[in-house]
Amino acid sequence: MKYFWKHWFLPLEKNNHRSALLRTNTLLILIAFYLFNHSLIKFISVIKPGILGYSSEITVQKVIDQTNQKRQELGLTLLKYNSLLSESATKKAQDMFANNYWAHTSPKGTTPWDFIKSVNYKYSAAGENLARDFYDTDSLMKAWMNSPTHRDNIVNSKYQEIGIGVVNGVLGGIKTTLVVQHFGTPLVAIASDTKKVINSNQNEEVTLPDEVIKSDILNNEGVISLPQTPEVLSQEKNLINPLLLNKIISITLFILIITVLFIDGFVTLKNNHLRLTGSNIGHIGFLLVILLLIITSQQGAIF
Amino acid sequence: MIIPPEVKKKPFEYIFLALFFIIGICFYLFAGLSSSNRRFVVIILGAGYFFWSLYHHYHRGDLSLSIIVEYLVFILFGIVLFSGTFF
Repeated sequence: MKYFWKHWFLPLEKNNHRSALLRTNTLLILIAFYLFNHSLIKFISVIKPGILGYSSEITVQKVIDQTNQKRQELGLTLLKYNSLLSESATKKAQDMFANNYWAHTSPKGTTPWDFIKSVNYKYSAAGENLARDFYDTDSLMKAWMNSPTHRDNIVNSKYQEIGIGVVNGVLGGIKTTLVVQHFGTPLVAIASDTKKVINSNQNEEVTLPDEVIKSDILNNEGVISLPQTPEVLSQEKNLINPLLLNKIISITLFILIITVLFIDGFVTLKNNHLRLTGSNIGHIGFLLVILLLIITSQQGAIF
Repeated sequence: MIIPPEVKKKPFEYIFLALFFIIGICFYLFAGLSSSNRRFVVIILGAGYFFWSLYHHYHRGDLSLSIIVEYLVFILFGIVLFSGTFF
């Protein structure tokens, strides 16, 4: 038994002075093992979506609070919660689950604007942010703020109202949580603001209809986010998250190989053996870089 | 601090490799890349490491098929596990 462990982890005369775990055929077996596991997890996700799934702690209120916090930090006005925008955001999320897509425009050609209009929200400007597979609101907001286009929506001074949709469902065979953020500026607000300008500046020429039309055109070129009801929509707890499981297996294998490379290099250096192999330091460096990227990368996706 | 003899012999080759990795990490983390572009960065890192290994072992005079295969397998290991984690 003792020899078994030495054989796999230490460079010995019997294993040709190279830990058996670092041999190319062993590494190929580990790659095959990983791919098999990866496929198995995906397969289970497709045939039994309820077994592997997601447990999101994101709530509508948290998303609104953190969005307003970001705006407050920049001295912008806070967004007001709008139930119509929340309804359109929820509809968008439900539509993505129902039609199995992940995009601003559905395969049938339904745009975010169509969802907003369907709830009778008359807007002069609107925008949409999408996210999926996030565990918590902090990492979700971080991802949006790190993306210039999503950040532009969050800190856009044009918007006055917000609606959030947080919906659980099965997308692409994996149980997940979709978050849709809809921003809007009601048409009435622009109209009344402009009237105020007209009333207070009687000598200035302000044309209300032109402005409204301009805003509406701008709006249709933008991106929208879906609103949702302010309660926590998903408290369903799932046993295993497939994305997290994949990450744990990857990190474990990386740490195992890096550790054996360290041991192998140290023992070889200590015994002053010469051998025809690649550079352990180079391998350790390369694997550490990839490990760092895996650890620091976010789990979820934004659109 | 123990500096392995192979690093002492060719310090600039290892410094170059370290700089290459650091630039790759910074680009990956701070360039605001999409997920597909991030995978592309990892593939570039793997390709760069492979070319470094060819240069390194050629100058050391021990470049052989078994060493090339070893590097390819380590790079494959890194890229497959990275891709499997996020895609």
